[in-house]
Amino acid sequence: MADTLNRIDARTKVTGAAKYAADHNLPRLVYGHLITSSIGRGRIVSMDLTAARAAGGVLEIYTHEHPLTFHGPPPGIAIIFSEARSPLADANVHYHGQIIGLVVAETLEQARDAAALVKVGYQAQPPKSSFEEAKKHPAPPPVTPLPLGKEIIQLAPGVTDIDAALAASEVRLEATYDLPPRHHAMMEPHAAVAVWQDGKLTLHSGTQGPVAHAEEMAVALGIATADVHVISPYVGGAFGGKAFTWAPSMLAAAAARALDRPVKVVTGREQLFTVTGHRAASSQTFGLGAGRDGRLKAIKHFTTSQSIVEDPGYRTTPKFYESPNIHIRLRVTPDMNLPTATIMRAPGDETGSFALESAMDELSVLLGIDPIELRMRNYRQVSMEGLPYSGKHLDECYRVGAARFGWARRGEPGTVKDGDWLIGLGMASSILGAGRAPTVVRVAFRPNGTATVGNATSDAGTGMWTVMAMTGARALNLPVARIKPALGDSRLPVAGPNDQYGAVGSAATATVTPAILVAAREAIGKLVEHATTAPGSPFLGADDVRYVEGRVVGKGTSLTFGELLTRTGTTEVAAEGTTAPPDAGHAFASFAAHFCEVRVNRWTREVRLSRFTTVVDAGTIINEKTARGQITGGVLFGLAAAMAEEVRVEGATGRISNANLADYLLPVNADTVEMDVHFLDHPDPAISATGARGIGELGTVGAGAAYANAVFNATGVRVRSLPVTADKLLP
Amino acid sequence: MRPFTYTAARTVDEALGHPATYLAGGTTLVDLMKLEVLTPEHVVDITALPLRGVRADARGLTIGAMERMSDVAGHDLVAGPYPLLAEALRQSASPQIRNMATIGGNLLQRTRCGYFRDPLTPCNKREPGSGCPAVQGHNRGHAILGTSEACVATHASDLAVALTALDAGLTLRGAGGTRTVRLADFYRLPGGTPHLENGLRPGELVTAVTVPALPWARRSAYVKVRDRQSYEFALVSAAVAVNVTGGVIRAARVAAGGVGTRPWRLPSVERELEGRPMNQATFEAAVRHAADGARPLAHNRFKAALLRRTIVRALVRLAG
Repeated sequence: MADTLNRIDARTKVTGAAKYAADHNLPRLVYGHLITSSIGRGRIVSMDLTAARAAGGVLEIYTHEHPLTFHGPPPGIAIIFSEARSPLADANVHYHGQIIGLVVAETLEQARDAAALVKVGYQAQPPKSSFEEAKKHPAPPPVTPLPLGKEIIQLAPGVTDIDAALAASEVRLEATYDLPPRHHAMMEPHAAVAVWQDGKLTLHSGTQGPVAHAEEMAVALGIATADVHVISPYVGGAFGGKAFTWAPSMLAAAAARALDRPVKVVTGREQLFTVTGHRAASSQTFGLGAGRDGRLKAIKHFTTSQSIVEDPGYRTTPKFYESPNIHIRLRVTPDMNLPTATIMRAPGDETGSFALESAMDELSVLLGIDPIELRMRNYRQVSMEGLPYSGKHLDECYRVGAARFGWARRGEPGTVKDGDWLIGLGMASSILGAGRAPTVVRVAFRPNGTATVGNATSDAGTGMWTVMAMTGARALNLPVARIKPALGDSRLPVAGPNDQYGAVGSAATATVTPAILVAAREAIGKLVEHATTAPGSPFLGADDVRYVEGRVVGKGTSLTFGELLTRTGTTEVAAEGTTAPPDAGHAFASFAAHFCEVRVNRWTREVRLSRFTTVVDAGTIINEKTARGQITGGVLFGLAAAMAEEVRVEGATGRISNANLADYLLPVNADTVEMDVHFLDHPDPAISATGARGIGELGTVGAGAAYANAVFNATGVRVRSLPVTADKLLP
Repeated sequence: MRPFTYTAARTVDEALGHPATYLAGGTTLVDLMKLEVLTPEHVVDITALPLRGVRADARGLTIGAMERMSDVAGHDLVAGPYPLLAEALRQSASPQIRNMATIGGNLLQRTRCGYFRDPLTPCNKREPGSGCPAVQGHNRGHAILGTSEACVATHASDLAVALTALDAGLTLRGAGGTRTVRLADFYRLPGGTPHLENGLRPGELVTAVTVPALPWARRSAYVKVRDRQSYEFALVSAAVAVNVTGGVIRAARVAAGGVGTRPWRLPSVERELEGRPMNQATFEAAVRHAADGARPLAHNRFKAALLRRTIVRALVRLAG
């Protein structure tokens, strides 16, 4: 397919017409402002609200002594990936920046100013906030219904344990890779506008999964899911941070119910770092054992992290390379006085790929084998479960990428110079499990000549509006302009529990597009039936009626469907289409090869990205333009971890010392380059009729390793602790 | 933000009439007022004051305090004769901020120390006597030179470093008249009183910056090392100018940023350069003692080595 189309929602967004959650200003609206704790652990012993209450415009101040009622805990997997404790539940403080109050006032400024007047007395205890300390005493992970945290041991016959397999290998590498916590740092903060009418809630709140958000809100509020209507057509970035429900939405809804007025809560930038989720810090130790020929004999991947959310071993290592002996293990540091860990773009995959693809680069140096050749010698032909891949062209990604990038020009570490700049080339693989949930799409023909295509997924900047319009246009043989996608609304259809999380796991396009084809077929059938049976139709009783490019043709007559529906006085002819799960006989994954060039200043050791090539094998590319945007953004997301990003937690206080966008460094335009993104575009008929596998996170996986490997090639210095800052490269 | 009164001054005398906090570009002041680090009762807007213009004569360069950073960076009287000034300005902040911020405001900007900027933490600069969490806390960005037990915050201005290398002065006007002061004497070391950052008297305004004529400053550079390539403060920076004839350095100016509690002139490095050939061996020898007296903290030990290397990089560029 590989069409290319500008985003259909671009004009709406760049002109400011797109209404994000916080843009909804309703009659009688009041504003909530969060109060957060300034200690990392302990109890609140007093809250003096006198001055705050006396400040102008204050309607109510909710605290643990005057709380809002929540019914909990979060349903389903949300209990693992979001905060299990209800806001304002008690006087305990579990982390610095925890919500301890909500001020509601007539204006935003009044609420914020009053919040600053609240005086809180604490009985503080020393917090357990240092991951550096906690990782010395890890614990086995909790058992959950998820495979995360599951220990994986595969040993060849006669091998007693992984250490024996490593000891028997001719070449061994052992190295530890440390990644700091990170925050999603999306442009749009978590914000909610809640309105109640007749016991039913309408919630404007940015989310990746409107139906899951509605269910989680319903559980928290103790009402039926059907009584929560989540509206979220535009999401200003999410990256996993808006996959689950966080306290600001819950507080807005509960306060709106208590006050019988619409309430808006916008989380402050510094508050986002603590009251919503983050990527937990991790420490990964790799043992790789190989023969002189480069064939892996043992892979040991032991991780310690704050929670099971970030399980890089499980997520990464089984997918990448073949080895007769593999041992993957996760340990956690429970009960830390830190904000809640959640998923963040390519959870586990990004983290694990940095360590694994760095370790493979280190092994290639020990063996004296080219990094691509080493990867080809350990190329995984079938999945660890023994299934063949539906399509795997990673070898072609390496080959095409190496040629486009000029990999052959790579020199020995520290030897290639351009004036005062050291030049380095690095590469890494990206492998991302390619899921697809069964889903339901509704297609409806309208009398005005348009057709709607609806599903309760979301578009967090990924291009889903455009992908749905393009796929609908193709399925109905209509111009794109006549397709009206509908998404970001909990009343739109989904298939069930696996589908309600919407746009997660880089699977939205793979999930939704095949269902559009099914629904379009069903809807065309309904339209033909309508033409032959509806009173007023000129096709009544005909047996040769067909649908041709937006027209109903037969009986010597031809009408557009709009004309037909107008004549029959019908508001819509609609059908739902449901997809089955993908074929169970295959393993599904998307693949990419990343190639990175950096320049490192000889004197001051700053690293500058100078070139990046990525070659992608992800099945059919539906819209090359938005796909390119996804890969470019995904790569930069991964590079950002290597370049700059780091949540800095003070071990002694639990305070995050850089909880703002001036000090939490994200790369800026000056740090990046025009990337060379190439799609192989081999359709994958085994995954679905559209043949599309996931792409978004694929760019992120491995990108940081390609960067760090390039830095090693430039300087001869191996940085195993991100980010790669100049000080770590000084001789 | 706390409530305050706002007056827009039409003349300098009107601005000086009452003690107040002056609002120029607002890029520091408004930011800190939002954070409630600064809570002035009276704000006097001075953006309409005629403290403008960039002029050069035999004695040197004069820049009106209300000139915008972006205008000065692109000015012919600055970019050609004083490359280090233009480079320092262009590497400051972001284009949006440079279009708003003024030269006078830039020199009076407050430190970027995260503890200073968070009213929920102690800070001797913000609240004298409350303590300094940076000494034991996160101090990767903090100073290694000129520090005290009370304060280890860096001075954040790039421009001030370049001006210090040029031995610039300030023209100050107060109710009692006009005076001039060398920039090097204007900024104070923190000692036990880190809240007193400079010699500005209450009610005084910076009206102009003066740069003594230095024809050989055409051969100058400002090198800024930072964690990203825009919108970020210096880990270490170096402002360097050299007068070279016949391959020999006759005179040199060297100042550093990101390392000191104020812009840090390095006269010992200048002396080591003078009279020696303009080559890498000279540079590396000259910087050997650049960080002498440094008092590194847990997270900024690298700054001493990076300081030496940043100066060498700047000199190598001028040699090339």
